[in-house]
Amino acid sequence: MATYPVTVGKITRHVPVVETLPGVHIPLVELMGDVELVQAAAEGLVKHLPPETDTIVTLETSPIVLAHAMSALSGKPYIVVRRKRRPYMTDPIIQEVESLTLGVSETLWLDSRMAEKLLGQKVALVFDVVSSGGTMKALERVALKAGAQVVARLAAFHQGSSKLPLTSLSEIPILHTV
Amino acid sequence: MLWGVRKYPIEIAGVRRELPVVQVGPEVSVALFNMLGDTEIVEAAAAELAKRLPEVDIFVTPEVKAVPLAHALSRITGKPYVVARKTEKPYMINPVARTVISITTGKPQLLVLDGTDVPLIRGRKVAIVDDVVSTGGTLKGLSDLMSDVGGDVSAVMAVFTEGSPREDVIALGHLPLFKPE
Repeated sequence: MATYPVTVGKITRHVPVVETLPGVHIPLVELMGDVELVQAAAEGLVKHLPPETDTIVTLETSPIVLAHAMSALSGKPYIVVRRKRRPYMTDPIIQEVESLTLGVSETLWLDSRMAEKLLGQKVALVFDVVSSGGTMKALERVALKAGAQVVARLAAFHQGSSKLPLTSLSEIPILHTV
Repeated sequence: MLWGVRKYPIEIAGVRRELPVVQVGPEVSVALFNMLGDTEIVEAAAAELAKRLPEVDIFVTPEVKAVPLAHALSRITGKPYVVARKTEKPYMINPVARTVISITTGKPQLLVLDGTDVPLIRGRKVAIVDDVVSTGGTLKGLSDLMSDVGGDVSAVMAVFTEGSPREDVIALGHLPLFKPE
């Protein structure tokens, strides 16, 4: 299996390279299950958390551990936007993701009781990997619909070029087969 | 699911919360414990569970609500953790899966382990970590999955047991079931 080295702080991982489209290979980073990598990313990203931040907002699943670790380090709470409607949700905020990939569409959900906590709050969006930025843009819309103001967009890794302003700790390349 | 005004107070290592009591069936209501996003509760529960940790090599947790707890337990104890996912991912290599019937939804629920995690579990003492162990459906599925890959389930750890008390679970508290108002 081909691997590619990715580094955050003092932690380096040789992650598997997967072919996502014919000829396009992408190193695949997984934060869940990797405490050292998550702690290193959290320590790096909390330095970029603006002091006025009230709440961290993230999306399930993989970045949840990163948001938890950043929350534990900074003392700021976090809220998880879901990728599926949960049975307990009432009057949720519903946001479609505009995806550039054909045939793939997604919907984000935030329960109204969680959304109420974001009203008037300054929030930092937290991701593990941002590539096109489409999902991040959708998460930002959820925050805006809840009445929050986005003061930072943070990611452990970025891939390719996103037009949105983003602070990330490390770049993951897109590898092409020669 | 119906939300009443009833609340059920809980305490974990001095951290208090009031859980909403919600109706989930014609004859039953539960105290809804959702610690996703509650860093204080997760850290307090992880520290308490770490004190009661039996001799194990690795934690296994189901996606998604208990994942921060497993992360915190792993950070405190220095032992690794593995997540059983609810869907098979395209990047998984030789995944191993089990289907359980969820008692709450009545629908089949998949539990999937990436094949690359199997060597971490085979022949090792495993502690299953979850937020609430109720009917034990997920627990049974995870235990079977561990047996499938040669893991030895030595302990089950949860923040709460619910319904009938369970001696086989290391828990920090117990949540009763309620009659709807």
